[in-house]
Amino acid sequence: MIESERQARVKKSTSLHLAMEAAETLRQITEFPDNPESMAYFYDLYQSRFKDGMILPQNGKKLVGTMCLQVPDELIVAAGAVPVRLCSGAYAFDQAGGDFMPAKSCPLVRATMGMLQVNNDTMKDNLSTVVIPTTCDQKRSSAQMLRDMDYPVTVLEMPATKESDEARTYWQESVKQFALTIQKICGRKITAKSLNAAVRSKLEAGKLFRSLQQLRTESNPVILGKDIWLVSNSYFFDDPDQWCQAVRGLIAELESRKSENFSAINRKAPRLLFTGSPPIFPNLKLPILVEQAGGLVVADETCSSQRLLHDAVVFDEKNLYDMVPAIADRYLKPCTCPCLTPNTDRAKKILDLVKSSRVEGVVYQAFSGCMPYEMEQRAIGDMLSREGIPMLFVETDYSPEDQGQLSTRVEAFIESIKVRRRKTQ
Amino acid sequence: MSSIRRFLNNSDINRFRFYFQLFAFVLLVYGGYLAINIGEQLPTFACVFGEKRGGSCYLLGFQHQMTFPYARLFSGPGIGVLIGLATFAGFFIIFNKAWCGFACPLGTIQDWLTILRRKMGIYYSNYSEPVFKGLSTIKYILLALLILIPMAIGNSFFGLPTLNHDFGVPFCMICPGRTLLPLFNGDISQLTIDFSSKTKMVFSGLGMGVTGMFLAGAFAKKRFFCLFCPMSALHYIFSRASLLRLTKDGEKCTRCGNCYRVCDVGIRAIADDLDHKNIVKDDCMMCLKCVSACPEDDCLKATYLGIPLYESTAEGFFRRRLKKDD
Repeated sequence: MIESERQARVKKSTSLHLAMEAAETLRQITEFPDNPESMAYFYDLYQSRFKDGMILPQNGKKLVGTMCLQVPDELIVAAGAVPVRLCSGAYAFDQAGGDFMPAKSCPLVRATMGMLQVNNDTMKDNLSTVVIPTTCDQKRSSAQMLRDMDYPVTVLEMPATKESDEARTYWQESVKQFALTIQKICGRKITAKSLNAAVRSKLEAGKLFRSLQQLRTESNPVILGKDIWLVSNSYFFDDPDQWCQAVRGLIAELESRKSENFSAINRKAPRLLFTGSPPIFPNLKLPILVEQAGGLVVADETCSSQRLLHDAVVFDEKNLYDMVPAIADRYLKPCTCPCLTPNTDRAKKILDLVKSSRVEGVVYQAFSGCMPYEMEQRAIGDMLSREGIPMLFVETDYSPEDQGQLSTRVEAFIESIKVRRRKTQ
Repeated sequence: MSSIRRFLNNSDINRFRFYFQLFAFVLLVYGGYLAINIGEQLPTFACVFGEKRGGSCYLLGFQHQMTFPYARLFSGPGIGVLIGLATFAGFFIIFNKAWCGFACPLGTIQDWLTILRRKMGIYYSNYSEPVFKGLSTIKYILLALLILIPMAIGNSFFGLPTLNHDFGVPFCMICPGRTLLPLFNGDISQLTIDFSSKTKMVFSGLGMGVTGMFLAGAFAKKRFFCLFCPMSALHYIFSRASLLRLTKDGEKCTRCGNCYRVCDVGIRAIADDLDHKNIVKDDCMMCLKCVSACPEDDCLKATYLGIPLYESTAEGFFRRRLKKDD
């Protein structure tokens, strides 16, 4: 009895903190001048989602929670359920997770676990299952903790490498088993038709997302990076059709900005690439700081944005036997997650983005406790310095405490890029 | 110009290839009705045993020439052999491996069997990369044999007795083109076992067996026979000189593997090789499915004399993938 009262109290205070936190992030985001009008859809979306604790989408369909972008959500959609990516960026949940998670664990995993713990009473029943791929150590280990909290957990076995034929076969088999499991959980058979529709839906989103990515790299900046994260983050939970509709509107507005030669920010703003541990709303601390300091994030290599929708499923035959392995390939072969070894593709992708988006500097965020990104930092930094691109490495977490210190570092970094530019001109 | 290029890049190469193959099949198998003869040294299986063919496969003549004793081979008639090889190479460098993907009647039959299997919803078999690698050496062994066996007719190797003339065209005897393509002309006479001599009996028996394996294999596995094709091995010698090229820009590649995914002959280098510009491998048939499956601008392209014919673009990729009737 006392325990449940305590739980209710924690839930209430966490919800309150969450709402404040979300409102604060949205305030900072909307404070920028010249926000695109079509962004209002996304601002409102976050407003309503976070104002009252954590609201899961509700449309009568079964919900399947996913803990990583490695989960092939096409299969979930094809089985008639709605995938919701649970990865949380909320400091309020991070603190709640701190009650039972190790102090040195990754804030993203801690916040996600905190959210599931605090909302244990409702989410346990709302979520038909929580899918956890065996990617990084901490996500893998949370599977057991979630089972102990009575969550229905589905573990998606993923190899730690993608180079060998054996890894590919193993993953394809694993995804096939996942398809069988998920249709059992959802009580609906996946058919070639429903899967094709799901694949097409994500393709459509991917196509729009690529257009948006293209627009953000214009030499005349029409949109800021902080808005891009809001757009891509909302794909975690928004209805795909509505999302596509909103993005189409945004693209149209940005196109007209482009033709009118309208700039959303100083044209000379240093062009930056953001990579590393994923910024997830409301924790857009570092991207916002960078743009408040006069930088412009024209590209990112993060699993909460660029990596989410860039790649596309391709199959040769519209039969399940070809479509399911094709979906598996889409989630493994192009993956640049640092939990894979070797992971040379990530460096290659960053370099490619640096060149194609005319990037002048890279901001590398690693959450303290996120070992894979922390460990790859040196290799990426070395690679970039060989190319003459400066990199700012920031180790941070969800707490707002280091904001002052961070903004000094970010400002200095951006200033140094401006100085460099003057010297080379 | 740019609008033409955009139109081409947005097009669906698979559909074009289907109709082109049909056209090439009719031309090569029935061309004789219209007195068409493209040439005698074609780098594709326009089978000489088909009466109404519109051109002839080079391998029969080539094997025949290989039966010449050394004295003939390295004197006057040798020039004829060289001219034949040069004509073959000449035909080949015009279209490179696209002869396999777009013209070869045996390739077309295999693709039809694939369509049939797909419509029936039967799962295809596939091999892992090491198996593909192992199988692809067989075609070189067959190529060596189709040169060495006829040579052993005109010449004695290591003092061994020479072979009799029943060994004359060993590859044709086991080639499924000999048994199958005349069928399209209404000629079923090749579909027999020849008991006139022991050698002929063995070869024509093997030929029947290979034909059965060809049909069953191609039904189960896309382009099964192409993995063993000695013509393809002979092609590869001249491939670098060809006017038609398939090139890759490694810098634009994200190794997403879409191209490898759709490749009928399982060439992994198409996805993983980031260093070589010329990406045509010995099993490649230049069907260009890889180009159409690539979502990165300018990463893969087919060029003719350096002029791009078909390039990978994000726009074309999404257009093809999101097409209504897909």
